[in-house]
Amino acid sequence: MKFIENIGLIFLSLLSSLGKFILFIIFFFKYFFNPKFYFKNNIKYFINVFISSIPIIALTGIFSGMVLALQSYTGFSRFSAESAIPNIVVLTLTRELGPVLTGLMISARVGSSIAAEIATMRVTEQIDALKTLNTNYYNYLVTPRVLSLTLALPLFVTLVDFIGVMGGYIVSVHRLGFNDNLYLLNTIDFLSLNDYLSGIFKAFVFGFIISIVSCYCGLFSDKGAFGVGSATTNAVVISSILILSSNYFLTELFF
Amino acid sequence: MKIEIKNLKKRFNNNFILKDISLTIEKNKSTIILGQSGCGKSVLIKTIYQLFSFDSGNILYDGESEVDLDKFSMLFQYGALFDSLKISENIAFTDFINSKTNYNKKVISLMHDVGLNKSIFDRYPSEISGGMKKRVALARALYKNPEVIFLDEPTTGLDPINSDKINELILKVITKRKITAVTITHDIKSAIKTGDNYYFIHEGIIQDKGDCKKIFKTRNKVFKSFITGADIKQ
Repeated sequence: MKFIENIGLIFLSLLSSLGKFILFIIFFFKYFFNPKFYFKNNIKYFINVFISSIPIIALTGIFSGMVLALQSYTGFSRFSAESAIPNIVVLTLTRELGPVLTGLMISARVGSSIAAEIATMRVTEQIDALKTLNTNYYNYLVTPRVLSLTLALPLFVTLVDFIGVMGGYIVSVHRLGFNDNLYLLNTIDFLSLNDYLSGIFKAFVFGFIISIVSCYCGLFSDKGAFGVGSATTNAVVISSILILSSNYFLTELFF
Repeated sequence: MKIEIKNLKKRFNNNFILKDISLTIEKNKSTIILGQSGCGKSVLIKTIYQLFSFDSGNILYDGESEVDLDKFSMLFQYGALFDSLKISENIAFTDFINSKTNYNKKVISLMHDVGLNKSIFDRYPSEISGGMKKRVALARALYKNPEVIFLDEPTTGLDPINSDKINELILKVITKRKITAVTITHDIKSAIKTGDNYYFIHEGIIQDKGDCKKIFKTRNKVFKSFITGADIKQ
């Protein structure tokens, strides 16, 4: 009986968290269209996120492209289809790996820092201080972060796509002996605008997921050092799971 | 501003923190809320400030249930300064985030009032001492010229010398500016020094109240135990 009670409690707690999260998103949109928009704060945050994330994004792109070229060669050489490697590299990167890997990396790099920063602000009463200074924390904390990540992720994905293709090019030309002009020509000819745009659309969605989940985990964290730690972990775990699961439905949408 | 609290009850989950609080904060007076850690003092002032909602009871601000929160200000226990902003930006926070630039003169004047040297104007909170942080937090609280200031354990974490300095500063500031002050503390010495009247909270109810200058004449046994540091038993 106790066991069933516990299951019920867990289910109710999940349901309550889900309700709180949905309310949080509704409030976000409510205040997003509120005229109180701290322009300087938004721009500052966007630049900060963008510049600090470029190295990790560049590394993700180049190594993904390089590995993809090598692995595709291993498989395709078995039935003499090596010439499809440029196509596979560019298609996989733009439609799939670019947005998903970027989303996961940004979730770990930026999402965790958002959650930790906001949770620390909560623990040290800075969120309460904002309220006493007549500042809505949705406007001051949540909007800049959500806006920055939602707009920055498509740019990151574009960068990963480009650097990833270059990674594939380097490995294919210098390691696997492809003709350099032919490789680039195959890549450009095969890529359609829809492939790129489907990845960009995913990036928008992932950017929103990472930022909104991280802000929520930070704002509703438990108190103390443990609270900050678990807010950070929850932000990365929940946004990663949501990225992977929503990726399937978004892929279905563009299938 | 006069604030009247009647039969206030506040709970978190099923645990009542404030069981039945009735008290009056007189205009331009310094009211001290005393009590042990965890007795609900901070919850009480945050409820008065409307940072928390309450379950039942009444809070009247000059006889009205609605209040312009711009008339209130708060000094938090550990300052609650924004780490990523400079001292000047912390003090003039609302002007700073609204991209106003003409706050420097007011900030310097406030820094002078709270005994801060203007050399820390461009420093960050992590670069100054605990005592300075309290002063910066006080300057920030005074920036919007409040009618009522709530002070949550203003001397926590400070050594006796700095505690005395902060108490003197608070007294000077609230007297000079004619501000209604509500201070939370468990330090009797601070209460006597800065307060006009006190309320003692224990287990969510007001156990004793009176004049701060006559604290030691209390007949309440629980409060006496609190003052002497003995184990509080009902």
